[in-house]
Amino acid sequence: MSDNNSKKYWKSLRDYYNPEELKKIKEDEFLEGAVDNVDLMSMPPISRRRFLALLSASSAFAFAACTNFKDKGEIVSYNKKPEEIIIGKANYYASTLNCCENTCSVLIKTREGRPIKIDGNPDHPINQGKVCIRGQASILNLYDPDRLKSPLVKTGNKQYAPISWKEANQSIVNALKNASSQNKEIALIVGKIKSPTTLLTLQEFTSKYPTAKIYSYSSFSNSSKVEAWKEIYGTSELPSLELQKAKIILSFESDFLNTDGDLIDQIRKFTSTRNVNDLKNFSRLYVVEGNLTLTGANADYRIKLRPDLQKELMLGLLNELLKRTNSKIVLPNELNVKIAATTLNSVIEKHKLSRDVIYTLVDDLIKNTGKSIVLCSNAFGKVENILALTLNEILGASNLYNFNSRYVQLLPENSKDELKQLVNKLNNKQVSVVINFDTNPVYDFVYLDFANALKNAELVVTLSEQKSETTAFSNYVLPIHNDLESWNDFQNRSDLISLQQPVISPMYDTRQKESVLITWTTEENYHDNIYLNKLKSHWQKEIYPKFSSAIDFDSFWYSALHDGFIQLTNTNVASPKFSLKTFSDSQSQKSSDFILAIYPHPYLFDGKFGNNGWLHELPHPITKVVWDNYGAISPSTAKKLNLENGDVVEIDSGNKKLQIPVFVQAGVADNLICVEGGYGREECGEIGKDVGVNVNYLRSDNSTSPSIIPIKISKTGKKYNLVTAQEHHSLDDTFVKDFHRKRKIIQEGTVKQFEKDPDFIQRERHELISIVHEVKYEGVKWAMAIDMNKCIGCNACVISCVAENNIPMVGKEQVEKGREMHWMRIDTYYSGTPDEVIVSNQPMLCQHCDNAPCENVCPVSATNHSPDGLNQMAYNRCVGTRYCSNNCPYKVRRFNFLDFRTEFENEYQYQEPLNFLNNPEVTVRSRGVMEKCTFCVQRIMEAREEAIRNGKTFDGSGVYTACQQACPSNAIEFGNMLDKNSNVSKLRNHKLAYYVLEETNVKPNVTYIAKLRNINAESV
Amino acid sequence: MNNSKLDYILKVRVPVTIFVIITAFVITYYVSRPERDGIGYSPEQPIPFSHKLHAGEMNIDCQYCHTSVTKSRFASIPSVSTCMNCHSVARKNRPAIIQLTEMYEKNIPIRWKRVHKLADFAYFNHSVHVNKGIDCAECHGDVRNMDVIKQVSSFTMASCLDCHRNAQLKLTYISNVKNGPENCFACHR
Repeated sequence: MSDNNSKKYWKSLRDYYNPEELKKIKEDEFLEGAVDNVDLMSMPPISRRRFLALLSASSAFAFAACTNFKDKGEIVSYNKKPEEIIIGKANYYASTLNCCENTCSVLIKTREGRPIKIDGNPDHPINQGKVCIRGQASILNLYDPDRLKSPLVKTGNKQYAPISWKEANQSIVNALKNASSQNKEIALIVGKIKSPTTLLTLQEFTSKYPTAKIYSYSSFSNSSKVEAWKEIYGTSELPSLELQKAKIILSFESDFLNTDGDLIDQIRKFTSTRNVNDLKNFSRLYVVEGNLTLTGANADYRIKLRPDLQKELMLGLLNELLKRTNSKIVLPNELNVKIAATTLNSVIEKHKLSRDVIYTLVDDLIKNTGKSIVLCSNAFGKVENILALTLNEILGASNLYNFNSRYVQLLPENSKDELKQLVNKLNNKQVSVVINFDTNPVYDFVYLDFANALKNAELVVTLSEQKSETTAFSNYVLPIHNDLESWNDFQNRSDLISLQQPVISPMYDTRQKESVLITWTTEENYHDNIYLNKLKSHWQKEIYPKFSSAIDFDSFWYSALHDGFIQLTNTNVASPKFSLKTFSDSQSQKSSDFILAIYPHPYLFDGKFGNNGWLHELPHPITKVVWDNYGAISPSTAKKLNLENGDVVEIDSGNKKLQIPVFVQAGVADNLICVEGGYGREECGEIGKDVGVNVNYLRSDNSTSPSIIPIKISKTGKKYNLVTAQEHHSLDDTFVKDFHRKRKIIQEGTVKQFEKDPDFIQRERHELISIVHEVKYEGVKWAMAIDMNKCIGCNACVISCVAENNIPMVGKEQVEKGREMHWMRIDTYYSGTPDEVIVSNQPMLCQHCDNAPCENVCPVSATNHSPDGLNQMAYNRCVGTRYCSNNCPYKVRRFNFLDFRTEFENEYQYQEPLNFLNNPEVTVRSRGVMEKCTFCVQRIMEAREEAIRNGKTFDGSGVYTACQQACPSNAIEFGNMLDKNSNVSKLRNHKLAYYVLEETNVKPNVTYIAKLRNINAESV
Repeated sequence: MNNSKLDYILKVRVPVTIFVIITAFVITYYVSRPERDGIGYSPEQPIPFSHKLHAGEMNIDCQYCHTSVTKSRFASIPSVSTCMNCHSVARKNRPAIIQLTEMYEKNIPIRWKRVHKLADFAYFNHSVHVNKGIDCAECHGDVRNMDVIKQVSSFTMASCLDCHRNAQLKLTYISNVKNGPENCFACHR
């Protein structure tokens, strides 16, 4: 047996220190307590809504008894059926989402006029059919029962009354006119503007009301990166990165696979360099980070260093690189002095870094000049970003810059100082009207005490989809369209403009935010197409002429609308030259004892999606914590401060204090607490209210890097219940009676090992014999293969599965009991020591075993095997004995202990219009039934139907499961394993292919391709 | 009570009573079965549409109205606008057509009474069956002779499987017809 198989993997720190404690969890089917307390009498008392439901149900029964028992209800057909709709068939529309500044181009699936799923636009060169987790989950926001439904006017303290749009508009326009005539400022607070037509609308507004001033901001902006770029290269348009050409990637705190930058593009390009069939171009990822992020988890070499100390490493690297390369770079004197003062050796010694790793890094960087790139986090200030760009210049990374596809800056963001000035102006009563244009400054600028400042404005108007902290301080609250109800255009890259079109007519008395501004500007009467007309005329004037095409504008417009985007002809831009004139580092050098680092949350990001339950319930990619944020600290810091999971600490930033529970996470740097934003919404719908802590309180308004803050930390003695799913559904890896060897769940190797010994995985496998008759499969047999070299563990597959398969939210208390319902999960395993962890992720779903152990034990044969190799689950047959789940070695079966749609948050999931969201092709499961992954059988059946319609034999091609479709790195392949040419059968026969728990002889049909780590060693 | 009487009760009365109860139950079960399955159900419709007239006498193809039957799971009930294709000209003076025209103009959908219904967890697919050449009448009966639409076959899993298992016997008019799938996921998911 080679070394890598004796390697110890652990699931959690508890597993590392006391494996005995976790043994029971691993052996048992459910967590302790999961099967208790399912008796409805012991549930919380009946809610008002539940009572009304029961009342109406019983009266309905009473009426039913008097009516004809044969009655089967009604079929209400269309009066005039839209031609494009075929009942029972989905329609797809290309559109664009404005969830974040990447403005992803998407394809929206609608059934009978209701959007039910969002995926990436397959034709779009950036998205290529993929969209991030937030984009997928944003469909829930459309149907959120907590949306604002009509305009509101403030009538008293936190009391609002409905008002008509006409009345609201009238008084707002009057106030705007008054402000203009009195020469008082109108503050228009907007987010990051990515739409050319929105920008035009804003400009027209400011020219009508000359005292209006636009403030643009985003909570986690890349402004420091833009400023640094501008200082060196003179433009504010950053190039896109050609990461697919990179051989060595060095990231400083940049979580570029999960939160930082143009995710879909970066993930695809990075993972394309992790191709096991192309070892020559296999990239190597070095990550320097304090927090353990998903990018760090995927690193080949991870260098643990507190964020505030990374500047020194950058200087040290510059020092070494300048010495060892003959770079002719001209740097300002101040910087040269700094670099000369910081030798790499001194940095290594000072921070006790691994000399081997750092020198391998330097060698790699020099050897791969022109193919190596340094990425720097948005969380850093301008200085670090300048240093990273200087490193890139020396390393020739400009080869990897794509200036034909630059990130455009339509409207530069306002600096923190300008926003602070706005608060001062408000406090001095210089601002008379504040318009919050789909922004939530009271939450985002809580550290500036924005709420109190707002009280000094004469009129506060907030345009918002949902209740927010800001609407609570507004005189008028105007409800706006969701992205899926709106028209717009978006430009993120210089060579692409995408279009947004409504896929459902407005559900409530809402208006598009731009059209509201237009009615204030032109004072014309509102009509539905007011903004569409503007958009079209803008396109006709500005964009259509650029194409000088033969077709008329209408055809051009409809073809752009159909595709969802247009590609502008490339204007070749000369790559700007590096010139750094001055360098000043105003940051104080004295390092603080304890540092707080604020990151965007991987799912909730800045908190705009605070009421989205899917995102709350999706386990955090690293800690697997659900429904909360926390402060992540390292095990040794926890020991020093005498803290354990859930202990509440007080963080003191000097002017503000905040209490937050801690989570002890292996791999975090010492004396550092990492908190993710987006939580702690005080005013939003039922779902997100008071979940977690708002870390914006601690942001400092004067620091040059506002996300990295020196603090003091103290234990409060309070306890808080943090729920993590990390130990849930742990596979049993303890000794099996007969085999006397560890079960192999994670198998990994290194690139060198694979080059030298390509059979190292296959040798570990052994022939399995069967004493029973083997079933022969003909025609189609379904199988899946997951390439662990490409899987980054982002959870996009899980959220796609949730949307496709009507999976309910269960809430924090139920997750704690181990009753989460996700059909798919990403298991995280650690190896190494808690200080220097190596992370291995593994997506786990029903393996559709040929010898499925669940099938033999079902007393009612509710689960059995189909002729095409699927492990089927017939819900209507299931009586809920849970024997199947007990017998599943992968722990992928989920039991409906309750009707979670009823039990969760006052029947939130049964409220109108959330029922519109359900996929009509998948049964909504009820209490007492077992469920699990079906390999998206509804999609298989749809493809089969198509084949029958066309009179073809069904060969199994063209079926994409929801997880596969969503995977941004194309790690998942699905198809017919009997077809020798299918991708999945090629992967099944790959040298690196293995099955999890293969020795149990259940013959799973999900193949895993062992992960290769690109390290200078011949075993992991 | 003397022993012979008890003996009589136990030997004769009790078994006879039990027999009568069971027989009554069994007979009722089987006799009422078609009715409980909905066979013969023919509710009054909001518009007295006659399939006999349209599909039978006038010989209009089923798919003229049930357009999606070859494309989708659902055969689909035609929209009012489909009726108006002809009735904007034909028989405009009949009371039902006047009612229909009024609904069309006022944009009111027709609330048809549902006649054929499968359980929600069964995903029957019209297009798969029709594209294989199976006649509509196989399940829906001789609609061409029905003035008021009526359910003629039972829509239970047993009747689905009856055909799926004996396709050659049931569907003699399709050459080389194979049995339908019998696995759960074929219909349930």
